[in-house]
Amino acid sequence: MSDVPLLAVENLSVSYPLKRGLFGGALTLAAVRDVSFTIERGRTFGLVGESGSGKSSIGRAILGLTPSSGGRVVFDGTDVSAFGERLPLSFRREVQVIFQDPLSSLNPRQTVGTTIGQAIHRHHDVSHQQCQREIATVLDSVGLAAYQAERYPYELSGGQRQRVAIARALAVRPRLIICDEPVSALDVSTQSQVINLLIDLQHAFGLSYLFIAHNLDVVRHISHSIGVLYLGRLVEAGPADTVYSAPAHPYTQMLLASTLVADPRAQAVRSQARRRQPRSEPPSPLSPPPGCPFNTRCAWAADVCRTQMPTFEAAASQDRHAACHRIDAVASSPRLGGEKVARSAG
Amino acid sequence: MSAGTIADERSDAAVVEPESDVRSHTRLWQRLARRPLSLTCIAYLVLLFVLAIGAPLVAPYDPFHPDIKLRLQGPSAVHWLGTDDLGRDTLSRLIFGARTALLASFQSVSFGAVVGITTGLVVGYLGGWFDRIAMRVADVMQSIPAVLLALALIGVLGKGLGNAMLAVGVIFSVSFMRITRAVVLAEKEQLYVDAARVLGLRTLSIMLRQILPNISPPLIVQASIALGTALLIEAMLSFLGVGIDSTQVSWGAMLETARQFQSQQPLLPIFPGLAITLSVLAFNLLGDSLRDATLPTGATAESSISRRTVAPFAVSPTSVHRPEAPADALLAVSGLTVAAPRPGGGSAELLSDVSFHVMRGETLGLVGESGCGKSMTALAVMGLLPPAVSIAAGSIRLAGTELAGLDDDAMRQVRGRRVGMVFQEPMAALSPVHTVGRQISDAVRAHTGLGRRQALARAAELLALVGVPDPHRRLQDYPHQFSGGMAQRVVIAGALACEPELLIADEPTTALDVTIQAQVLDLLMDLRQRLSMSVLLITHDLGVVADACDRLAVMYGGEVVETGNVEATFSHPRHPYTAALLAAMPRGEGVGSRLATIPGRVPPAWAWPQGCRFHPRCAHAVAACRQEPNILRHGVRCRRADELTLTDAR
Repeated sequence: MSDVPLLAVENLSVSYPLKRGLFGGALTLAAVRDVSFTIERGRTFGLVGESGSGKSSIGRAILGLTPSSGGRVVFDGTDVSAFGERLPLSFRREVQVIFQDPLSSLNPRQTVGTTIGQAIHRHHDVSHQQCQREIATVLDSVGLAAYQAERYPYELSGGQRQRVAIARALAVRPRLIICDEPVSALDVSTQSQVINLLIDLQHAFGLSYLFIAHNLDVVRHISHSIGVLYLGRLVEAGPADTVYSAPAHPYTQMLLASTLVADPRAQAVRSQARRRQPRSEPPSPLSPPPGCPFNTRCAWAADVCRTQMPTFEAAASQDRHAACHRIDAVASSPRLGGEKVARSAG
Repeated sequence: MSAGTIADERSDAAVVEPESDVRSHTRLWQRLARRPLSLTCIAYLVLLFVLAIGAPLVAPYDPFHPDIKLRLQGPSAVHWLGTDDLGRDTLSRLIFGARTALLASFQSVSFGAVVGITTGLVVGYLGGWFDRIAMRVADVMQSIPAVLLALALIGVLGKGLGNAMLAVGVIFSVSFMRITRAVVLAEKEQLYVDAARVLGLRTLSIMLRQILPNISPPLIVQASIALGTALLIEAMLSFLGVGIDSTQVSWGAMLETARQFQSQQPLLPIFPGLAITLSVLAFNLLGDSLRDATLPTGATAESSISRRTVAPFAVSPTSVHRPEAPADALLAVSGLTVAAPRPGGGSAELLSDVSFHVMRGETLGLVGESGCGKSMTALAVMGLLPPAVSIAAGSIRLAGTELAGLDDDAMRQVRGRRVGMVFQEPMAALSPVHTVGRQISDAVRAHTGLGRRQALARAAELLALVGVPDPHRRLQDYPHQFSGGMAQRVVIAGALACEPELLIADEPTTALDVTIQAQVLDLLMDLRQRLSMSVLLITHDLGVVADACDRLAVMYGGEVVETGNVEATFSHPRHPYTAALLAAMPRGEGVGSRLATIPGRVPPAWAWPQGCRFHPRCAHAVAACRQEPNILRHGVRCRRADELTLTDAR
């Protein structure tokens, strides 16, 4: 195996042209600005952020569903961003996707078997019988029975539909799967089934994941590394353990303090921490504040934060990075770490 | 490594999850056949087709054979519908006329559909310059009346029905193109189209195999209506004498003849006129029925169930042990059973024997997965059950007032004055066309009788109370000018307008971002304290319960399975379902550790399992669990609650 990461995203920017203003001035929404990260083979990179943070746009730009306006996407040493939306078929075979809403991500007029079968036929030259066998195998690997190939999406439960969506992605035997909020639309019990399945499949097939979600606890559970997005910028990235247990950036701290845990005592600690946070609304992505995008909601914000964009640099350790002018001041104050929530005995 | 675990997972999922046994998605034809009107239209059109195709066999006379002796006769045994000015048989001419009418309509509509749908697919899916050019051409084309274009084309290409209908087809192709483009634009945003692109499927295959089948319903409707229009245009052109030649028979030409000899034979225009009217009507009505039948909602099935009162159930033996709520509870729900008619007949219990109470100043979390009945419980308390769903048994007491069985007027008084409600989607709860100040002050005036000015001042106070900055100025803003979190604050302000004793919040933070969710929960807790209200907080998120609730009631399968103090229940869950839900939450374990799962899924209301409703998914089920239902005893609905130690579940 080479040292080249499976996927390297370098200074990626994505912007959307919005409708023109009243006086003809074109309005652009900078959804992603200058984001860089890498995904290693067989590992999971978790991207966490709130709505408007640009997390889904990053996934869509990698998949060529949305044009990028700057930067590069390098897959296995090859720069694929130059292809624009017409990515080569070989890339399509290597990189697949699972979306949030399994009902709208499956064609309502096609059976499960047809949906998976066309994926296989497009990428592998197989006979009809081979294809049927392949469909049965891939359904089996996501925990569905072969007879369910005859079913239409509306006949399945939410969890089963998401399994079908996973099966469709697996059918072409990819190396990287972009998981865009794959469990947010599911109930708690189904959510854990799907997370377990994704972890099992990663081990079985050596898959890499880009796992995009808004829930830090879910991302933490499945990811080896985590990147935290705020208003289109990566504000912190590093090994999952470090980012979760000792968040360096004030926004990561706010996010962690706001994430609710199903444990009244641990939650009491978190809510105390979050009540210390300043109360404010996130600014509109259309007009982000000058300087650090988080300065309007940050307890540590100083003058420099309101004028100058902080650089993304190593914080505390080599492999953890954060974009914050006041990283040292933040680090020296008491803060909340998302330590493992142990069940107290009573 | 994990082939074994994957196989285990499969056995969980595939064996336990019941297949949805109701294949509710009936075929289009079956749905059409249920409507008498559409059946009549189909029958008429089928008859017309048969006559048109079999015209030489069916028609009693040669439609061109003149018989001057018998000209302009009324209906008789020989000539059923009489004869025209040359003594030709009207019935035979009508039958042959159907041939011309249908042929011309189908020619023009199929030309229009093929050209229009193809162009619409291409310009809609590819967009860009194709789209701009096609739309400008369409604008020009649509400003020309179809008949005028047909006349112009006949002028250039020469007389003949084919040329005329080609012109009509061109006009149709524009409307087909517009409709196709519009639905393609909506459809291509669907995630399954993105998934197909990620799979690398060819553009042509995406257009034809993915998108086209999903946009066909509106196109079929359009085709049906266009057939009627084409038939009318054919008649019109023939009436003007520019359509058919002498070898064809047309209803329009028959009308023209009838016009000339109307004074001699007044019955003459009736038959071709009827034929034209009925055929156009049949195509249009069929189009309407098709549109209704392809609507995604089963609207007909719903509306056929009338709002009726289900007779109260006999008090079941289990409810004898019903726990008594404390006498000073603000809200005491006891033995609440809610039933709805089943699709196939009979009735299904959506809620069974639901009992819980909310003390004054307390927050109770009503928690469960989707389909467990928690929202239905809230609607029952508010008296807002959907039509056909009714309370079959039990009582809902709000500080001593019995709410079950109250009429609409009395319930409206309770809703506005004593109970406030906050829903999941703030934007759906606010009217987009009125200012926020107007909406809150209306609520204030409805419940207090204050004047307009005072009500607005009160609205500003309420906005300030829920933490909306600069409340006086924001009264003039419309809902779309608020962010999601701020809009939810506005909804809460509206719910507080009447100073309710009880606030029911149904998933109030589910649609909000994590950091905003926390702020809104803090606001609710703060308001509860300052206004000494009680809060009934309905949620699927155990984290929300842990954060904001004093006590909780866990629901599963339309029943309360466990109630208790939040801290005690979370550290010592007594019902296996509560324990399993808690264990399924990811809580910051290291990467790759397995989460506990609950196999299967919540069954639908018409298929509650026998015995304990959770037993098919329960790891602790014994034989008795499969046969006898459990009762809620000491806050838990599990016969094995005392013998199980569930704290180790995680």
